[in-house]
Amino acid sequence: MENQYWRSLAEREQPAAQELEFDGPGNSRRDFLKAAGFVLAGTALSGCARAPVEKAIPHLDQPGGVIAGRAQFYASTCGACPAGCGLLAKVRDGRPIKLEGNPDQAISRGASCAVGQASLLGLYDSLRLKQPLAHGKPAAWEQVDREIAARLAEIRKAGGAVRYLSGTITSPTKLEMIGRFLAQFSDARHVMYDALSVSAILDAHEQTHGARILPHYRFAAADVIASFDADFLGTWISPVEFARDYASRRLPPEMSWHVQFEGRMSVTGSKADLRVKAAPDEILGRLERLAERIEANDPAGDELAARLLRARGRSLVVCGLNDLAAQVLTNHINHLLGNYGATLDIERPSLQRRGNDRALADLLAELQAGRVAALFIDGVNPAAELPAAPALDRAKLVVSFAGSVDETSQHAHYICPDHHYLESWADAEPVRGLISFTQPTIRPLNRTRAVIESLAVWVGQPASAYELIREHWKDRIDWDRALEKGCAEVNVAAQAPRWMGAKLQRRAPAAEGYTAVLYPAVGMLDGRHAGNPWLHELPDPITKTVWDNCALLSPKTAAALGVRDGDVVRIEGGVAVELPAVVQPGQHDRVIAVALGYGRKASERFANIGPRWTGSKPTVNENGRVGVNASPLLALEGGLLRYERCGVMIATTGRRIELASTQAHHTLSVPTHLAPPDGKVRPIIREITPEELGKPPEHAEHHEELWPDDHPYTGHRWGMAVDLNACTGCSACVIACQAENNTPVVGKDEMRRRRGMHWIRIDRYYSGPPDDVRVAHQPMMCQQCDHAPCETVCPTLATVHSDEGLNQQVYNRCVGTRYCANNCPYKARRFNWFNYPSNDKLANLVLNPDVTVRSRGVMEKCTFCVQRIQEAKIEAKRLGVPLKDGDIRVACEQSCPADAIVFGDLNDPNSRASRLAQDARQYRVLEELNVRPAVHYLKVIRNRNGKGGQDHG
Amino acid sequence: MRSRVLTIVLGIGVAFSLVVLASRASMFHLPANHQGYEPVQPIAYSHRLHAGELQIDCKYCHFGAEKSRYAGIPPASVCMNCHQFIKAPLGAIRAEDELAAQEGRAPREVVSPELSRLYDAVKQHRPVAWTRIHSLPDFVYFDHRAHVNAGVVCQQCHGPVETMERVRQVSDLSMGWCVNCHRDANEKGIGGRRVNASINCSTCHY
Repeated sequence: MENQYWRSLAEREQPAAQELEFDGPGNSRRDFLKAAGFVLAGTALSGCARAPVEKAIPHLDQPGGVIAGRAQFYASTCGACPAGCGLLAKVRDGRPIKLEGNPDQAISRGASCAVGQASLLGLYDSLRLKQPLAHGKPAAWEQVDREIAARLAEIRKAGGAVRYLSGTITSPTKLEMIGRFLAQFSDARHVMYDALSVSAILDAHEQTHGARILPHYRFAAADVIASFDADFLGTWISPVEFARDYASRRLPPEMSWHVQFEGRMSVTGSKADLRVKAAPDEILGRLERLAERIEANDPAGDELAARLLRARGRSLVVCGLNDLAAQVLTNHINHLLGNYGATLDIERPSLQRRGNDRALADLLAELQAGRVAALFIDGVNPAAELPAAPALDRAKLVVSFAGSVDETSQHAHYICPDHHYLESWADAEPVRGLISFTQPTIRPLNRTRAVIESLAVWVGQPASAYELIREHWKDRIDWDRALEKGCAEVNVAAQAPRWMGAKLQRRAPAAEGYTAVLYPAVGMLDGRHAGNPWLHELPDPITKTVWDNCALLSPKTAAALGVRDGDVVRIEGGVAVELPAVVQPGQHDRVIAVALGYGRKASERFANIGPRWTGSKPTVNENGRVGVNASPLLALEGGLLRYERCGVMIATTGRRIELASTQAHHTLSVPTHLAPPDGKVRPIIREITPEELGKPPEHAEHHEELWPDDHPYTGHRWGMAVDLNACTGCSACVIACQAENNTPVVGKDEMRRRRGMHWIRIDRYYSGPPDDVRVAHQPMMCQQCDHAPCETVCPTLATVHSDEGLNQQVYNRCVGTRYCANNCPYKARRFNWFNYPSNDKLANLVLNPDVTVRSRGVMEKCTFCVQRIQEAKIEAKRLGVPLKDGDIRVACEQSCPADAIVFGDLNDPNSRASRLAQDARQYRVLEELNVRPAVHYLKVIRNRNGKGGQDHG
Repeated sequence: MRSRVLTIVLGIGVAFSLVVLASRASMFHLPANHQGYEPVQPIAYSHRLHAGELQIDCKYCHFGAEKSRYAGIPPASVCMNCHQFIKAPLGAIRAEDELAAQEGRAPREVVSPELSRLYDAVKQHRPVAWTRIHSLPDFVYFDHRAHVNAGVVCQQCHGPVETMERVRQVSDLSMGWCVNCHRDANEKGIGGRRVNASINCSTCHY
């Protein structure tokens, strides 16, 4: 047995040593140690062998322009949701490793969201189908095509109903192909629905404008924004575009004024100048009163009405309820204010949501009645997303295009898996006239096939997706130019539909009892990415919980029920859902908010995520999944998906779930007895009103220097400015950092133990009384202090300062004493308690080859993306040009939709970061410690009495 | 007593392992130092012939050196630029010609056995798996671009490759070796030009 494994001859020849381990007469401890010493010496001597032989395999024929080790950027379009943000996919040696916003595309304008960033990981998902499935068994495409063709021929002969069920499709080529495919049948229909439906907006416009359109909202043109439960900065329709537009108007003197009416606390509400708590059933009444005042042109003391009336044509009223009456009223108000054509574009409307809930309801009824012969399901998961699973078993033929086996596709007769969007050619028209292209960044990893190719085969004219798309756009766009830019504008003969009048309905007065509000979480949206560990480990911007969805209760309600965070409550309203409670300040007392998209089959894979050790606990809940699917609480009533359910009951169950919440992790607050000498604990978040902006800034008093000034920064001095007023907490930066810097996923239990590994976190602070809180989001990362406390305590000099102001962490020197983390006032350091990198070879392809994958026992932290700094510096040297401001865009900065993070050279007085560091709003966190951080924060502007809608006549 | 016997036995063991290792003693290095590594390659490509005798520029094949972090191993298509025409050494072709003339027949095509491996690779669409020689640990990031464009000649790190039949790692590629050169370069410049060779940790470690 002892000879089974050996590393050296010496080791093999020591059977005596093995025996000596066991007690016997004359065997002393001394003998054992001696033997052990010899074995060690022999092993060490012979262990000086070479590392394993490495192979270097070049291309046979290198594609033009490809150079090993050089990244290439391909313009593409995000397929993570129907918003259609333009992307630049960074491809290194044939594999996409990072997604960045495409600055040339009008939707993203260089930014992206957390979900878009994380969708990269979905490409390397080992649970994606490797080939088509026929009746649950792997099959060849030829076989599947043959069988489907035969079944379709039968159905065509019998005149059976063919239905194509999909989410919003913005691709003109795909719509054309679906049209061609369905034209073969006498009774065929394409039904689109959105799991996060805004069908009521489209229905309302059909009523008021005669066209079923979704306006293209222009937040940048609005002086006054009134949002009724629309989380437009977080999850509503096109959050990246809206956040960019919104942030562009959030600085004096042209600062907009934003009021948010909402029942739960959303990121949009957290940024509002005035946030009014309103349960969904109260919102209609508020809209009615507002409409009356606007109609009468008399604010009657209502501040919002007065502001709106003063900002005619420069205001915007949006409503997030999927309620026809509320949306008709919203249209009515916008029409009265002359906002159509100004802040709502209906000439070139948005196509980002086209779902029709009524058509969906009809289809479900047809399915129930067994009148559907063939059902094609593309990009949606109705069995998990709808209140009740559709009666799929009553259709004779069910074909799914899902990329993996999910709640719906497991019932399909055939699964014809679609490519991941990064593998395929595609086009999108997110806004009428704006065509955005997707080009493959990698050869398909599995034997999957683009949906349009499948349809082309079934139409009988096989063609590649590339050919189909080129054919569709031939003569209309300059193909090469469009591919390079990623998008193109086409002329559409458009005429804005005219106002036809609104039929206003009176509705029942506000309901009694609790209202369950089902909302999309910033990271999870409708749940289509429920298999993505990055998104599960992303702390929710408001609740800060990870790896779970919860029943959010207001502090008062929680107190009345006697519920604490983590107590499982039962929400009953026709159906019952059991969830752990979380107390959410700022929430309406009658509202219980629950995130959608959780409890999916796709999350069963996380049963084994995270390090396994004696004390570890599973990431999944008792149901074997992450969170609980709240979709049963939805209702499809009157042709609309309802995201609020009135009159629900709530009861405690006596059970508890240990939640993982990063809320209290890494706190910066200084206890008063540890306060600096003057006894003043300074706020970590600072606020300012527009009126105070003109006043000279207050600076921390001068401290006596303990350090000699002998480290001048003669070249660059890297620094950062973070605008807290712009930051919406959307967390795109967190995922961007994770993708860029290979930070691992640790699982729920480790998160609970405060061992999350994100290098950038967004601290969310509340102020004010618990039932009416104000919120501030603060991105916090390594502050790259000049007088870094971490550096002075490292016994191995593993963390030292560079002559460009970077606080360097040298992994190969670190022995893991963790002194530095203890001494960091910003709590920005992360320790590798385990070897986190997984053995999933496919998922490891996502790793950035320019950043070391850290191993156990090593400290790590934000490096200011030093790999990007190095790359830009070397590239500038190669080209013989000086480094310009903006050449280096760090990952968090690059992704930020609100442009809240600016990185640059503080030694260059003209750099953006340097100018912001001189701004009147500038302050540094914990400045009194005199550690001289290189990250400058800009104060939050509280614009409660701001002039949006007041200064103009 | 027993303890002494044990000492002797164990001592013999260690001595034996030392004897076994003695054959490799000349190559003894601390772990991760692969100085002198000279593996047999799948094709016996001669740098002496190509870079030395024929004076082909290093960057003709290793074209990534100026533009990328990696100098890169040339794709087979680069070899084929010449070797679609040149299939054997001149001597071998002449010998065949003479033999053919003696035997009064048309000369046969001569293909060098080493080159036939290249042709097989191209024909079978199977790239050549070379054995990597210069390999740094994963936590070190070296960039060819920065060095080549600063005027550091290839031989400074790689040694006289143009004289090597089979490539050998000449330098130990240790951190001290890197840093010494950076310090020297900052003092003396490279080719008379002043350079800024950073000695920050984060120049190479990130």
